[in-house]
Amino acid sequence: MARIQELDRRTFIRAAAGAAACGPSLLLSRRAHAQKRKALRIAKWAHFLPEFDQWFSGELAEEWGKQHDTDVVIDHVPVERIDALAAAEAANRGGHDLIMFPWPPAVYQRHAIDHGEVYQTVAFKFGNLNRFAHRSTFDPKSKKYFAFCDSWMPAPFQFFEDYWAEVNMPLGPVNYYSLRSGGQRIRAKRGIPCGLAMASTLESNITLHTLLFAFRSRVLDEEGNVSIYNGRTVEALKYAKALHEDAGSLEQLAWGSSGNVKAMLSRKTSCTTNAISLIRTAEKQEPQVAKQIMLQTPLVGSAGVRAVAHVTNCSLVWNFAQNQEGAKQFLADMISQSRAIYEKSKGCNFPIFQKTVPDLIVRLSKDSEADPAWKYQTLKDALYWSRHVGYPGYTTPAAMDVFNSFVIPRMFLSAVKGEHSPGDAALAAQAQIKQIVEKWKQV
Amino acid sequence: MMNRTKNPLVSIGVLLLTLFGGVFLLAGQVSAQTTTSSFSSFPRFNPPPCDFSDNFYTENGFSVLNLDTAGAGRFGNFRQFGPPAFLPGQPNWVNDTTCTNNDPGRTRNVRILATTGAYKDDDGAPTQFFSLIAFLLNENFFSGGANATPNARGYTTEQIVAQFEAYGGLSQRVNGVLAPNPCGSMADPTIAATPCFPVTSVATPHLRQDWRISSNRNAIDGSSGDPTTPFGYFCDDLTGSWIITYSWFTAFSVGGFSNTGARINPTPTCQNLLAIASKQNGVNVDGTPILVTGDEQNFLEGDGTSSAFGLGPSSQPPPTAPCLAEGQEDIGGADGGAVWLICPTILDPRSGAIAPDAFLDVVRRFTFNGIQPIDPRFAQNFQCLKQTGQYAVNGVCQNPPPPTL
Repeated sequence: MARIQELDRRTFIRAAAGAAACGPSLLLSRRAHAQKRKALRIAKWAHFLPEFDQWFSGELAEEWGKQHDTDVVIDHVPVERIDALAAAEAANRGGHDLIMFPWPPAVYQRHAIDHGEVYQTVAFKFGNLNRFAHRSTFDPKSKKYFAFCDSWMPAPFQFFEDYWAEVNMPLGPVNYYSLRSGGQRIRAKRGIPCGLAMASTLESNITLHTLLFAFRSRVLDEEGNVSIYNGRTVEALKYAKALHEDAGSLEQLAWGSSGNVKAMLSRKTSCTTNAISLIRTAEKQEPQVAKQIMLQTPLVGSAGVRAVAHVTNCSLVWNFAQNQEGAKQFLADMISQSRAIYEKSKGCNFPIFQKTVPDLIVRLSKDSEADPAWKYQTLKDALYWSRHVGYPGYTTPAAMDVFNSFVIPRMFLSAVKGEHSPGDAALAAQAQIKQIVEKWKQV
Repeated sequence: MMNRTKNPLVSIGVLLLTLFGGVFLLAGQVSAQTTTSSFSSFPRFNPPPCDFSDNFYTENGFSVLNLDTAGAGRFGNFRQFGPPAFLPGQPNWVNDTTCTNNDPGRTRNVRILATTGAYKDDDGAPTQFFSLIAFLLNENFFSGGANATPNARGYTTEQIVAQFEAYGGLSQRVNGVLAPNPCGSMADPTIAATPCFPVTSVATPHLRQDWRISSNRNAIDGSSGDPTTPFGYFCDDLTGSWIITYSWFTAFSVGGFSNTGARINPTPTCQNLLAIASKQNGVNVDGTPILVTGDEQNFLEGDGTSSAFGLGPSSQPPPTAPCLAEGQEDIGGADGGAVWLICPTILDPRSGAIAPDAFLDVVRRFTFNGIQPIDPRFAQNFQCLKQTGQYAVNGVCQNPPPPTL
């Protein structure tokens, strides 16, 4: 049977510390128990839709446990703490067997098994993984897959149709320049700012990487060389500063996790970039608000339409896991549940193996909860415009270290707040990223 | 790439030679804008361009009501004479019943004579021709607003058109000086608000150089150049519309003032790069370089990776002082100019698509030899396509291909 554990901050710290301090004794008692039943301990990032996690633990994992004579224990960890938990477990070489991240856990690849075997198992039934998952979980140096990617969430642009119609943009701002000019007029008219996340959160990391890519810039080049300091980055920073001055708000600079979602749900911002969990939440809690929120493909920049995926659902089995075989089996079997995962996540989790949801496009065209029913059609080609962290290269440890240490949001924030000129902010980020890259060269 | 006019002195030299009969490539062809039937004896199987029918526009998500307003200037309703035609009495379009015979259901009987030249974005070739049928000034030109019905692939017309960029270069000359900033929403707020160059019209007399269009033509056959681009110009964008990306030389190229009143002088780097670009591509009506490829644009913007003008990325301008900038107009119409264009590119301009009575719409300047295109290669190609149905090769028209069974 599966047990659900919601880890609050204290429990989380205790769990991490306990794994270190009491590891041996816990392992002994677990082994004794394992003579009867095996155990599989999973730490999973807490989904944006809580009902998904309830289903995942209460049905999917429990059923799997019954079939495999295994006690599955799932700890749901808030997004902002999953990395610290993983770091503690990697340092102590003990804890969970499997960790599910909302991004590629490249920084832990030294502690991971090669997940190529899981991909191979799945491939027999559902075909090969796509380019997005490959680029997100493959290490070209060791030729190993450091994680297994089963699903992902695109990050479309979301806006209030009624606000934007008032400034003659009923279909949304389409490009970054109109975001600024239209957002400026909405704020002037209604006092409602434009809500791109900028503080150091997952949302801002996604939003601002997306902005950088749209402006034809990049953090690292294809070979992994630091290339953030270029004219396009400076242009993106100048743009973000102007956008904030013309159409932003002070509050957005201090938003915590999901601050942009909360602002949208209370109609205190005119637009944002996020996974569709935002509208799904609105559909459930505030149907009238949901009706006004429309989707469009990511804003067009000088590089065209590009957006970093909001979530890259990646699972990592530790190479010190007690139940490696069970963890691998769980991941492989999970793919046969991709359709249910898509449905229970209310369409947030797009499958990596498209054969598992062959009618995805039809579903997006006629969504039973959306108003209008075709609202989600915009996501049909999301795989084409979505990019992985680390683009245009692979998702390397250095790329993820930059991501996890919020170098990009901090760069934007310093320029937006006027602490640094756009050029100096880019230069400072370049120096920080160089340090990170050098650090990983030593590993 | 062919070298063109290198600098004003060279230009004058060439013009003098031309005046005294020294060089007459395509004698009488480049300047003559109407042709006779003597040039028309080649197989014609590509029909010339026509305006689309009201029904076709409606089916493809456009508001005919708005298209038929003076601001849109739709050919067939407006602008029969005057720019882009540059000769007195030269019509931009004619009524012609062959349109609906050649392409029933899609077209109306308005045949377009004004044929605009454009560079192909990836290699800079002056081989693209389109018909600038109408200007779309705001989102209301797309019918349905937020309730617009997406097509079978799930996209509204506006989303599709947003994938296809036409690069427009407006003249930056204002009261005799080059303004480093556009007026309106695209302006860089760190630069003084005035002087700014107007962005309310992309009619040919307001351009500093000819258009450049992206070449993501067909995603299916891979010619889009980007395997991740799911759109094809000729298969998704059925009216051949484009979103305009405006491009301009910054204060680091042409000088200016910051918003605090501090003078910004052209940087030595930009001056040097502009000189190199002018030497390679020639100069536009502002005296700044003609840009013909996306790489040149990216290079001068300092993107950190592009090479151009025979120079590598390390020769780019520094990130804080780019020589070139770009932007797109407010799609709500706040800037007052065209945000999009209905300007279908001719799929294959050979073998009849350039009709005998069509004329070339390109940026021209006054010379000792009259008003001449700033890039003569457009005229060479256009005239050869008109006379022989084939592109010029090294500036010379080729014989029409022999008839085949």
